[in-house]
Amino acid sequence: MSANSLAYSEQSGAEAAVELGQETTPTSSAGGAAFGLFSTDFKKNEDLKEMLESTKESLKLEAMKRVVGLIARGKNASELFPAVVKNVASKNIELKKLVYVYLVRYAEEQQDLALLSISTFQRALKDPNQLIRASALRVLSSIRVPIIVPIMMLAIKEAATDLSPYVRKTAAHAIQKLYSLDPDQKEHLVEVIEKLLKDKSTLVAGSVVMAFEEVCPERIDLIHKNYRKLCNLLMDVEEWGQVVIINMLTRYARTQFVSPWRQDGVFEENSEKAFYDSDEEKKEGAAQTKPYVMDPDHRLLLRNTKPLLQSRNTAVVMSVAQLYWHLAPKHEVSVVTKSLVRLLRSHREVQYVVLQNIATMSIQRKGMFEPFMKSFYVRSTDATHIKTLKLEILTNLANEANISTILREFQTYVKSQDKAFAAATIQAIGRCATNISEITDACLNGLVLLLSNRDETVVAESVVVIKKLLQTQPSQHSDIIKHMAKLRVPVPMARASILWLIGEYCEHVPRIAPDVLRKMAKTFTSEEDIVKLQTVNLAAKLYLTNSKQTKLLTQYILNLGKYDQNYDIRDRTRFIRQLIVPNEKSGALSKYARRILLAPKPAPVLQSAFKDRDRFQLGTLSHTLNSKATGYLELSDWPDVAPDQSVRNVEVVEAVRINTRSDCYYKKRLCSHSYLVFCSRSDEGQKNGRLEKSGSGSGSASASSEESSSAESSSESGSDSDSGTDQKRNTKPKPIKKVRDVIHVVHCFCLSRLFPVQVSSPVFVPVRPHELLHRMTGKGLAAQYHFPRQPCIYGDHMVSVQLTFNNHGDHALEDIHISEKTSTGQSIHCFRPIGESGSAAVLGRTCSKTERFSVSIQPAVGELLLPVTMTEQDFSREQGKLVGMNESSATITMAPETVSSQPVSKKVVSVANVGVVPSGQDNVHRFAAKLVSSGTLVLVCVVQKDSSAQLTVNTERTVVGSMLLRELQTALSSAP
Amino acid sequence: MISQVFILSSKGDHLIYKDFRGEADKDAVSVFFEMVTALSGDQPPVVMSHKDLNFIHVRQGGLYWVASTKTNASPFTVIEFLNRLAALTKDYCGSLCEKSVRMNFALIYELLDEMVDYGYIQTTSTDILKNFIQTEAVTSKPFSLFDLSNVGLFGAETQQSKVAPSTAATRPIMSHRSEQGGKNEIFVDVVERLSVVIGSNGVLMKADVEGEIRVKCYLPTCSEMRIGLNEEFSIGRSQLRGYGTAVRVDECSFHQAVKLDEFDTYRILKVCPSQGEQTLMQYQLSDELPCAPPFRLFPTVEKDYGSRYTDCDLPHTQKSSTALNVSVTVPVPKGSLSLSQELSSPDQTAELQLKNKAILWSIPRFPGGAQLSALFKVEVPSLSSASLLEVGPVSMSFELPKQTCTGLQIRFLRLSPTQPGMSQRWVRYVTHSDSYTIRI
Repeated sequence: MSANSLAYSEQSGAEAAVELGQETTPTSSAGGAAFGLFSTDFKKNEDLKEMLESTKESLKLEAMKRVVGLIARGKNASELFPAVVKNVASKNIELKKLVYVYLVRYAEEQQDLALLSISTFQRALKDPNQLIRASALRVLSSIRVPIIVPIMMLAIKEAATDLSPYVRKTAAHAIQKLYSLDPDQKEHLVEVIEKLLKDKSTLVAGSVVMAFEEVCPERIDLIHKNYRKLCNLLMDVEEWGQVVIINMLTRYARTQFVSPWRQDGVFEENSEKAFYDSDEEKKEGAAQTKPYVMDPDHRLLLRNTKPLLQSRNTAVVMSVAQLYWHLAPKHEVSVVTKSLVRLLRSHREVQYVVLQNIATMSIQRKGMFEPFMKSFYVRSTDATHIKTLKLEILTNLANEANISTILREFQTYVKSQDKAFAAATIQAIGRCATNISEITDACLNGLVLLLSNRDETVVAESVVVIKKLLQTQPSQHSDIIKHMAKLRVPVPMARASILWLIGEYCEHVPRIAPDVLRKMAKTFTSEEDIVKLQTVNLAAKLYLTNSKQTKLLTQYILNLGKYDQNYDIRDRTRFIRQLIVPNEKSGALSKYARRILLAPKPAPVLQSAFKDRDRFQLGTLSHTLNSKATGYLELSDWPDVAPDQSVRNVEVVEAVRINTRSDCYYKKRLCSHSYLVFCSRSDEGQKNGRLEKSGSGSGSASASSEESSSAESSSESGSDSDSGTDQKRNTKPKPIKKVRDVIHVVHCFCLSRLFPVQVSSPVFVPVRPHELLHRMTGKGLAAQYHFPRQPCIYGDHMVSVQLTFNNHGDHALEDIHISEKTSTGQSIHCFRPIGESGSAAVLGRTCSKTERFSVSIQPAVGELLLPVTMTEQDFSREQGKLVGMNESSATITMAPETVSSQPVSKKVVSVANVGVVPSGQDNVHRFAAKLVSSGTLVLVCVVQKDSSAQLTVNTERTVVGSMLLRELQTALSSAP
Repeated sequence: MISQVFILSSKGDHLIYKDFRGEADKDAVSVFFEMVTALSGDQPPVVMSHKDLNFIHVRQGGLYWVASTKTNASPFTVIEFLNRLAALTKDYCGSLCEKSVRMNFALIYELLDEMVDYGYIQTTSTDILKNFIQTEAVTSKPFSLFDLSNVGLFGAETQQSKVAPSTAATRPIMSHRSEQGGKNEIFVDVVERLSVVIGSNGVLMKADVEGEIRVKCYLPTCSEMRIGLNEEFSIGRSQLRGYGTAVRVDECSFHQAVKLDEFDTYRILKVCPSQGEQTLMQYQLSDELPCAPPFRLFPTVEKDYGSRYTDCDLPHTQKSSTALNVSVTVPVPKGSLSLSQELSSPDQTAELQLKNKAILWSIPRFPGGAQLSALFKVEVPSLSSASLLEVGPVSMSFELPKQTCTGLQIRFLRLSPTQPGMSQRWVRYVTHSDSYTIRI
């Protein structure tokens, strides 16, 4: 028994190996060779396993590369899961990334083992490096294991409030992954989307709209408040995000604005209001005669998308084009023409799709593309499907004025070697001929000439088209019919067309028609079905008009048809016989046979194949396929009455409100608030005066209070979204429920305008927290702050400060609150006694008294900078300008270990937020930055000489310069 | 939203397969290949669908780059993405061929992983991706003569003048640790594509030039590059500069990284090129050629008993440069049986291609200012006068190195800060025929 079971297990093992063997060598078959394969293959995987478990990084890496190779070719490598997953915590980033790739692929199959890796990701989510946080979130959310849904949900929620926009972007991407894993989470996810939609970072905007489109495209109400912001950000969003946002805004606009197409020609913008007013009396005040006034938001969208037509990305250009097509007033649509024509010079795949869209557009608005007609001329190198599309467009564009040019072009196309294309050209000529009556005769003559062509496809196509044309005016063209009757074309469709023509107009050719019938009777049995049917028709018609000559012939054909193999022909024969041949059983119908068979038939309408494509939104897959793709969202019709416009108004963001129930109430005394004054939209002149203050940032508070008072009035008044940047303030009005909770608050202080220097990303340095409020002083509440060196998400003019609150007390704190008017310094009141700042105290209802603490943030001068990229050349040029008073320098002795162990740049960067300038010499280090507040350049240069170094700081702000010099001096001379 | 991305060789081998959303079947790859091969003609439609799965593909480097999607994604987005993917693969692996893709599957897989997240495109910018990509490219080191045949544009000139090493332009941009000599090279190519239609009376009916300036940069730290164009370069019709013959284009568009502050006055493009290949400037000129079209054709067609003569005189008007790989396709009537020819030199060849109903006359080297003539005698049974109607236009393809039709030249190419030591700068010009048609 035991032997049996052993044998069995071996068997199954061999089977598994056979499978594997087939993957690696697909040609070899299973069977006898199974054992041989088994051994080699077993070894191979064993080998990989061993390599993965070894201690050498290089071996592991090599093994992982081979494993990923297996995945990349679509082969199964799942049995290595345990060996691979052990390496998830590896320090080597290259290896780690490959493990991530593997994990994402196989986690779903090996759920239990995958759970082992989760804790690693959870740890990584707290990493100080934003890239690591982001990639951990990305992989975690890609692991499709239902058990971890709550963990994912938590991680997404946390990441959505992360300081780094890159992490928030990753959070947005994770939303749709979680949604597809567990659609029940929708409600929570929509909350996260709502929050992220409010984000002002351009990085996040695209990603969150993608999530919106997948998770809750029907929640159009979420967009209202963010509409204007999205429009304004659009230019700076990365290109793939732009596509998604534009498509979403197209849908949005169609539900929110009234149609600009209602009265073509008359177009009035707001500016013409006066004119309208004076006219009003005459118009009896009827609502529908009111001229159309475009909603300013509608205009905003059109205005902000227009520059994107220049984008390098074809997808962006096309999405703007479709936006204009669907939203712009008719006379404005033509701005997209040029860009679309430009796309024609792109890859042939793009060409194909663009031409399809142009074909649809050109049906409705010829004028748009007419000036560019030459761009649609067919080139000899085009593929057939591109040629046919161009033909389609040329046909659509044809009118009385340009038809002669187009026809000349068509003449050369007919001669093309590509017969399918030549045939399509003939069809196109036919369409032109029916659409423009002036040229019908010319076209007919041309087509008749083609009948003598030696190529049967050309002849056949010509016959078919002539048939259609003749139907419109048969009487004048009996000679053409005669000519055609003499033709012997082998193509069945053409033969059938000729027969039908002769039958239909047999009265015009009374002598030829019976003869044709006679010939057809001879070859009837060998004809194609379609020809047979037409022969039967011809016979019937001739029997009715000229029964004397054709009676016998008809009966002969009807007899042949009666025994035909095809039931259609048998049916038709039987029907025709009953209809035309009089016998005793035939009813009333035969009396009307003539009227039935020879009824005048309406001419066919030759129209474009793209006629009905406009039911789909342009630029979508559905449009290209001409059928509805999954997830196609119908573009709604314009509303009759515009919905409330005010929903898009954004209120001024309310000032910070972090209230403390336990009666703590913060008052921040900002020593450095001198730079707060820059939040105002003050002009350049005023700025200079204040900059001096920012230099003396750690000076007294009172000094700057006069300054800020002038600013406050202006910023108070700014209330719409455009001026909203001034009031930035952060805010997390979330009450703290639990004791010992930590919250982060970002404060952004508004500073003045940016200097046009390219700002680079800051070098990452470890966080150095400073104390804001000690827990003893704060009665249990402790606060710390640090400068995250991230560009501020609320505005360019601000420096971000991250505050961390810790509750060490034993009762809950609520409504922790930074006095409203403090942080941007709009109001000076905050710095005076509390009584005046009042409003916050009202919020804590249960409290008997409020506590307030005065705190001060003292930024090191190095934190008031933004790193700047510049070339060495620029650096020396700028430095040359800043000499004399503007230069401060010092010689320092560097600790010996500093010289060798730690690069100078690292030290400098840890003190000040400066950018490294690439340098040609080893012993010279250059750094550049600018003051956030004024944009004034600050240049730092360290020249190393053995153990000493020459330190130079150049800036117009001498105070800043000397302070920075002092700080750098201490940092560089101290031991690490 | 992309469901899967896969790269297939022309024979249908799976090179790379990545599933992003797990909603499509794995056999989609073979389904796609069957659909592509089942279609006749060399260019199947770009968008195809099978059940509810839609395939969008492009062909580059002899490979199929395919994305499948189940939802209503914009085809433009997908096509643009696939093109970018191919371009990035080329940048990272050096060249774009089956071999390089096979060798760098791990790298491409990693690239895909960073570019697309759950079917959503995240980024395609080389500069951003560089921070994330860890794997190193494997290059096919040995230089062989076979490489010469497929170096294409970047090797076009090297065949005759041994200036640039032909493998130089086809190596990966990323070589952190590997030696590769760390060669600091930069290539600037001015490429123009010419499409011309000449009427039967010899009148120029239509002429379009599409040009671009492309840069392939291998410099690790290049902060700024300045490219000076001809000073008399002008855009649009109204604006004419200088006294000499203007170099005029109708329209011009630039890469977003190009700084144009000195362009208006000095015609200098300033750019900080990131590593890899970029198109800095695209321009076009329509309906007008500043110089005579490079080739003209004087055909005479005669009928003689059952056969027909075509006599072609082909003068090359551009004196300065030699054209390469010139081929002329002369259509013949249906039913042509045989061809006898008289050509002016032995290295030319002519053959009758019955399938295409055309004579293919190829001239490997065509010196400037020369005039070549050829006499073709085609035997056509039962020739009627109508047959002469069937003779369509003659088309030509050629390559003109060291020559631009618009006259655009690069005056100088300066790098700053000056690269220490051995930075090499290459400037090359080439004009291709896009579609050159002469009607008879």
